[in-house]
Parts: sequence; C-alpha cells; structure tokens
Amino acid sequence: MAEIDWKEARRYLGLHRPGGNVDKQLEESLRSCGAELEAAARPRAVWRRFPLTVENGAVTCAGMVIPSAHLARHLKGCGEAYLFAATLGAETDRLLRRSAVTRVSRAVILQACAASLLEAYCDECCDGLAREAAPEGLFLRPRFSPGYGDFPIAFQRPLLEAVEAPKRIGLTATGAMMLTPTKSVTALVGLSTTPWCPPTGCAACGKTDCAFRKG
Amino acid sequence: MNIREELSRRVLIFDGGMGTMLQAAGLPAGYEPEMWNLERPDAVQAVHAQYLAAGADIVTTNTFGANAVKLSGRPVEEIVTAAVSLARRAAAEHGSGFVALDLGPTGRLLRPMGDLPFEEAVSAYAPAVRAGAAAGADLVLIETMSDLYEAKAAVLAAKEHCDLPIFVSVVLDQTGRMLTGGDLASAVALLEGLGVDAIGLNCGLGPEQMAALFPELLRLTSLPVLIQPNAGLPECVDGCTHFRVGPEDFAAAMAELVKAGLRAAGGCCGTTPEHIRALADACRDLPALPVAPKHRTWVSSYARTVVFGEKPVLIGERINPTGKPRLKEALRSGDMDYVLRLAIEQQEKGAQVLDVNVGLPEVDEPALLPRTVEALQAVTDLPLQIDTSDPAAMAAAMRRYNGRPLVNSVSGKAESMAAVFPLLKQYGGVAIALTLDENGIPATAGERLAIAQRIIDTAASYGIPREDLIFDPLALTISADQSAAAVTLEAVERITRELGCRTSLGVSNVSFGLPRREVVNSAFFLLALEKGLSAAILNPGSAPMTDALRSYCALKGLDPNCQDYIAAMAGETTPAPAAPAAGMDLGAAVERGLKESAAAAARAALDGGKAPMELIDGALIPALDRVGTAFETGRLYLPQLLMSAEAAKAVFELLRGAMTREGERPAAKAKVVLSTVKGDVHDIGKNIVKVLLENYGYQVVDLGKDVSPRAVADAVVREHAAFCGLSALMTTTVGAMEETIALLRREAPWCRIMVGGAVLTEDYARRMGADFYGRDAMSDVRYADGVTGAG
Repeated sequence: MAEIDWKEARRYLGLHRPGGNVDKQLEESLRSCGAELEAAARPRAVWRRFPLTVENGAVTCAGMVIPSAHLARHLKGCGEAYLFAATLGAETDRLLRRSAVTRVSRAVILQACAASLLEAYCDECCDGLAREAAPEGLFLRPRFSPGYGDFPIAFQRPLLEAVEAPKRIGLTATGAMMLTPTKSVTALVGLSTTPWCPPTGCAACGKTDCAFRKG
Repeated sequence: MNIREELSRRVLIFDGGMGTMLQAAGLPAGYEPEMWNLERPDAVQAVHAQYLAAGADIVTTNTFGANAVKLSGRPVEEIVTAAVSLARRAAAEHGSGFVALDLGPTGRLLRPMGDLPFEEAVSAYAPAVRAGAAAGADLVLIETMSDLYEAKAAVLAAKEHCDLPIFVSVVLDQTGRMLTGGDLASAVALLEGLGVDAIGLNCGLGPEQMAALFPELLRLTSLPVLIQPNAGLPECVDGCTHFRVGPEDFAAAMAELVKAGLRAAGGCCGTTPEHIRALADACRDLPALPVAPKHRTWVSSYARTVVFGEKPVLIGERINPTGKPRLKEALRSGDMDYVLRLAIEQQEKGAQVLDVNVGLPEVDEPALLPRTVEALQAVTDLPLQIDTSDPAAMAAAMRRYNGRPLVNSVSGKAESMAAVFPLLKQYGGVAIALTLDENGIPATAGERLAIAQRIIDTAASYGIPREDLIFDPLALTISADQSAAAVTLEAVERITRELGCRTSLGVSNVSFGLPRREVVNSAFFLLALEKGLSAAILNPGSAPMTDALRSYCALKGLDPNCQDYIAAMAGETTPAPAAPAAGMDLGAAVERGLKESAAAAARAALDGGKAPMELIDGALIPALDRVGTAFETGRLYLPQLLMSAEAAKAVFELLRGAMTREGERPAAKAKVVLSTVKGDVHDIGKNIVKVLLENYGYQVVDLGKDVSPRAVADAVVREHAAFCGLSALMTTTVGAMEETIALLRREAPWCRIMVGGAVLTEDYARRMGADFYGRDAMSDVRYADGVTGAG
C-alpha cells in the first residue's frame, strides 16, 4: 500500500523554503492529516495495454488519434502503451470538502497529502508494470497525461472509456474534462525497447516560473 | 403472462455478455456498440437468438450506453427503438422470451461530487425509457450502477415515463462496497424505497465473490434477487482482458445461489451463450424459494443506513432556524458553510440522523431545501430528516436526496396525509407521523392511538406499509398539565406494543416553562426510552441528554463492552491537545494559531469587562497584521497563516455573539463575491482567500465552484459587490474566467476583479482585463485594503 511521500507533501506546502519554523503544532497537524487521509483514501487503478503508432506529430492508440507534438516526442520509439487511470476515490473528495468547511488549514495540508499519496500510488502501480514488461525486454516511459503540454485535455473521456475507468474504478470526467473524483490521474505510459533517459519531472517542464519547480 | 407473474412463480434466466459477443462479430475497440442496432442489426439480433436458444428467458437490449449523456448527439430514441425491435424479433422467432430494456450508467458523476445535475441525469434516461416502452420492452433493467444516486435518477426516469417493472443491479467490490462509497444496505434501502421490482448485483465480480455477498443481500432485502456475475475476476494477459470461469463452474456456483434463494440469474462480462446454456440447465427446474418480507423501519444516505427499533436513534435538531438568529442570518445571506459546520459538529457529537429545516418566511424554501440537502450530502454521510411544512419543498428535497430519507412530518389531518403519502410512494422514505388531527392533540393516549391507526390505514391505501411510519405521540409541557408526560409515555408504550410501530419524540418540549430544563428532559427521556421509544430529536451538544442515552444503552445491553460509553467519556477526561494555556494573551494565541486558547482568552477578556470592539481593535487586528507580514516575509508558512486565521475566526464568532445590539457590530469593509469559474472543480485556493478576507473584515458571498459567468454577474449586481474574486486552476478553464470578466465589465463596471490560480500569471491576468492578480493568499487582502483605504 502506497504511503504519503512526506518530502513531496511538505514541498507542496512550501515548507521546503527557508525562513519559517515548522513548529510542534504544525508537525502535529501534518501527522494527523496524513493519518486521516490514509484512512479515508481508497486508491484504485486500472490499465490496459494497446498498440501505438507515432506519425507526423500525432499518436494513434486505442481508437484515439491524438494530435500532440509533445506526446509524439515523448512516445517516440514506442510500439505500445499502457492507458492508465488511478484515483484516491470519492471518500477523499468528501474528506477534503469537509475540512474546507471546518478548518481550511487542514484542507490545505490534506490537499498536499492527497497529491503526494496519489503520485506515490501511481509510481507504485507503474513500478509493477515495469517489472511485468522487463522480461519482454521492454521499458516504461514516464506517465504523460491529457493537459500536459499540447496533449488536448478533451482526450480525458476517450482515455477513461478505453480502460472502462467509470465502471471499474469510479473515475469520470466532467463536462470541462476535469477528473472527478478530483484526486485522480490519467496517463499514457509508453513501452519501448530502449530505456528512457531524457529529463523528466520539473526539468522537462516549460513552466519555468512555477512556484513548485525543483532545482 | 407478464414478467412480474413469472418472477413470482419461478427462477428466471437472463442472458450473458453482449459487448464481447459483438466484438467477436467485428465491433472495433472504442466504437459505440449501440450504433450497431442501426448499422449491423443482423449481428445484434444473432446474439439475442443465441442466448434464447441457450435457454435464456430474458434477453437484454443492446442499449447499455443509450442515454442522452453518453450518446449525446446521437439519435437515442431511434437506437433504442431499433434495439428493442431486434430483441422482440429474436424472441418472436424463438417462440418465447422477454425483452429487458437495458440502461447503464451515464459515465459522468452527479453533483455534488461531480458536475452532472441530478435532473439532467433523470432527463438523460427518459428518452430511452419512452422509446423502449413504446417499442415493446417487458421490463427495464438498470444495471452496472456504481453510484446509487445515478441509479435513483434512472429509476425515477423509468417510473415517470413507463409502467414497466424495474430491475436494478449494482456493482460492488469484494469488500461489499460501491465505488462511490455506498454499501449493500444503503443500496437496498434506497432501491426498495423507490419501489423497484427486483434488486441485485452484476459485473465487477465473479460468481464466487458474489456468493460471498449474497447471504447479506438476502438478509437485507424484501425483494426477489437478481445476480449476473462476470465469468470470474478479469485477468489481463498480453494486453487483453480474460475471464477464466468456464460454463460448468459458472453454472454450478449459480445453482448453489438459487438453492439459497436467488430468483433471477444471468451473466455479465465474459459470459457467453455456453455459460447461459449451462446455467439454464442447472437452474431452470430448481424450486423458486419464497421471498421473505423484512418489515424493517430504516432510512439511509448514499453510504449509511440507520435502523429504528434496535438501538435508540439520536436525531440532531440543530439545523432549524427557530430561535437561532445566527442560523437565520446564515440562511438569509446564503452562508451554506455555516449550515454544513452545524452538520459536522452534530455528527462528531454522535448524531445518527440530521434534521434539516430551512423554513424562513423570506426564503424560497422549495429551492433552498434541496440545495441544502445536496450541499450537506457532500460533507456528511448521515441520513437526513427532511423537515418542512411546505409540500413543494418536501417534494423537491425528497427527489434530490441521495438515499431513503426520513420526512418530518405527516399528521392525522386529511390534508397532510394527502400531501405527504404520494411523495413517500414516489421517492421512498420513512415519515414521522404526528398523532394529531383537525381537532388538535387529543388529551388521552387512547385517542392518540386511534389517530395513529387512522394514519396507518390511510398509508396502506397508498401502498405504504406501517414500517415506513414512525409515530411522534407529542410531548407537551408538564408546567401546563402535570399529566402530560404520563399520557405521552403511555402512548409511546402502546404504539410500540399494540400497533407494532416505532416512535420518536421531540423530548425537550416537556419542560417548557420550567427552570433547569435539561434535568427534567433527561429524566423524561430515560422514562420514554424504557417505554420503547426508538428515536429522539435533540441537541447532540447537550451533555445531559447524550449522557442519558449512552448510559441507557450501556445499562440495557445495547452497547457491546460498553465501548460507546467508554469512548464518549474518554473524550471528556483527556485534555484537548491544544489545551487553553491559562492567561494566554489573545493576540499571542491568534499569532500562534491556537484556536481554543484564543477563544478562551477572548471569553476571559469579555468576562473581565472588555468591550468586543476593544478586543478587535486592540488585539485581534494587530495580531492578524503581524501574522500577515510574517507570511509575506516567509517567516510563516501557509498552514500556519491559516491556523491563525481560524483562531481569529473563532474569536470573531464569539464576539459576534456578544455584540447583540443593533449598530454595535462593525460594518463590513466591503462586499466580495468569490467563485471558482465555470468548468473548474478545484476550489482550495478560493477557500483560502475566503477565510482571510473574512478575517480582515470583508463580507464574502461564496458562490462555490463551477459557477457560470451569468451566475457570477448576477450575484455581483444583486449584492452590489465592490470586489469579485475568480479562481481557475487549469489552462482550460481560463477561457471561462475571461468570459466572466467580460460580462462583469458590461454589467457591473464598478466592480474590481481579482483573479488567481495555478496557471495564471500577472501578465496573463492583465491581458484578460482583471484589475488584480493575486499571487498568494494574502495579496488579495492587501489589494482590497489598498482600494478601500482600509489598510
């Protein structure tokens, strides 16, 4: 079972910045929010493997033709991909709502804990997929989600349908293609015969003025 | 013979999977199977024919996704008409067979957890129901539901647009829970309340896992049970989903369930005509075991059921504006968060059901009550008691409610019964029935019993069983009539014993006009409990009452190991983590974010004769300024800033109670309308800004999230707000922000617009035409202070 990555959770809260003092009271809030979130969260994921072609700045996979140069670049050399969807579930959303009404300081901490837990859970799932793919001589690319770069967010819905996410894990998209429950991820995870080396995470992101950028 | 009669006399065999059969016939991945009803009718009819030949009594139309949300832009009615005709034709050619109109989920999550309004979900199913019934379906099968609320929408659409029998099956995981948090009991309570004909499970699990949940389902329901498992749990091999349970094993497992009481059996994903052939052979001639009615009095939310008649039920009474000026003010100003906090507090104090009454002369109750119910259900899983004397408000709230509601109230008056019973029949639920009629409240227990009997008889004429009524024989004050309590107690006892019904009381009326009312109330409460009282509506914050209830349960063997009693009392003796430090300075407590200490310091200062305004100007505001500056200079982190804000807020609430005289309260600096823009469901940023603005003396009107430009503009104009704050988290919703700003410029040119959100920048905000870009939590406060000259 995935756990909150506290280093990340603290970073989301800005606690990595020097100048302040994480006192006993804040530590206690972090601890109790973490426990409350881990008790409420019901992480679930679903994935399916599909053949994939990359041509002329577009990716074709599971009946979708995705016009995205960033995604095409990211999946260059991949012949297959996992379509992946994960969520912390409706209970997490309810906890976040309840805390927003009663104590917004806890809502903020719970948000950070949830983001970190979701990321850790997705990593855990993808590590499992990587282990499955290894005997075939295949390597996993990092997750790439609708809304990243020029990957149109409108692909949330076909991606969710392709893995039956509404039915299997209760994950849906709103009219504006926001995921609900909100603490959720969808992504393409490429499979290729060569390991992945280019920069990932913050270093790969074009938003250089982001408050949460590492390094 | 119709399907209801068939179901009452024998075990019915449903068909198996449709999707995999169509894929085998060449349906491409990602293509809507429903389109094949028009494009490849031969292939669809062939699947039906195979299942009928295999022995299915009922074939399910190829309309799983045929609702107006999922097939938006496609001719849903035409598709459904074709689908039903194909199934009908297959049955005619076979010589027999019923046709089930299949309705699956919309694929969208309903409000308040998602964005699909409840009524849109109902409307999404209506065209399919109308077309399906007209084309000759024999029943409606609502299946693969992992959200009870969506199931309710589909059932209402079916009830309101046809007269066909309705079967509903839901998806559970191996722990017996639905994806949206519901459990088996809450599913049964809701669906039985809606009056469906059969209830069951499908998809998600194989026969073995469903067999584990089946006894519990049988124990709970008074309806025939339908089970359609997958052919085992899905296994992913080489990128394909496989189901491993073969026809013989499948049939053998299902036959065991039929022997235990299953009345309708079929298959879901991975099952084939071979599975159904084996199933039909194994089950067709097994005797149909009788379905046992359970006569349970129960209510539910989307995730929790409360049964009356086992342990006394505590109904929290606090959400009722009578005699509560602060709640009245909140309801008038649309401060829903205050109402939600009342709910959460009562739940924390042990309430099991929450009464919800928002009746004020100046509010639009038929609109406000369902809105309040929906908002409450986003933060609490307690069942709600819908409390109103306005039948239109009652109808609207019962319809919107996600669960089987408690309804407060019906009485022996003909007019009341004529208004409430049709609603109970339509939406399900349990009504509190007051033993009074056109002649008032009778003086004797015997006469109150007679009214109760009349209510039972009238309810029966609507098809409502007595277990869906909880009688309130009315507690009257003993200060006026010293026999009043004895009469009420006798009525409680006789309604329980002679009529076999459950009872509830508003206990506290008994002491009206007496000193130290809780002493009398708790004694009366214990007496009533001993007479068989099944529920009481009271303030869960009243220790004498909750103590009496917990002691009673412990003494009567209703509290295993006295654990509830011990847990409740442990909370009393352990000091709170942030115990108020004696004599801590108010300012210091706020700065350190110590809510309890700050409130204690403020209380002490008030007791010491300080005026509320002195505390605000002399301690609170300077402390908040120090905190704000510390945050801005990086010495304080965001959670700490917010803890201070919460401490200050607690003090403001306290002082507000102390400033009762007109004109004593400081006027708000200005009004601010806040919202997260259309399409965006992430509202943490907006919530942070709200708390801080309120702290700094602004009156905030919070419109919530996913708010249309029109609704924002209307609110700004209505409130004549000086400021409007808009938040957007995603690049995709920035367009909605721009649109909102443009509309505000036209309709509310006086209003200063502040924007914020993860993807925005100063430059972008300016190009959109905003007045100010709020880069962090404090900056909006500083900007507003600068504009109002209040800084």
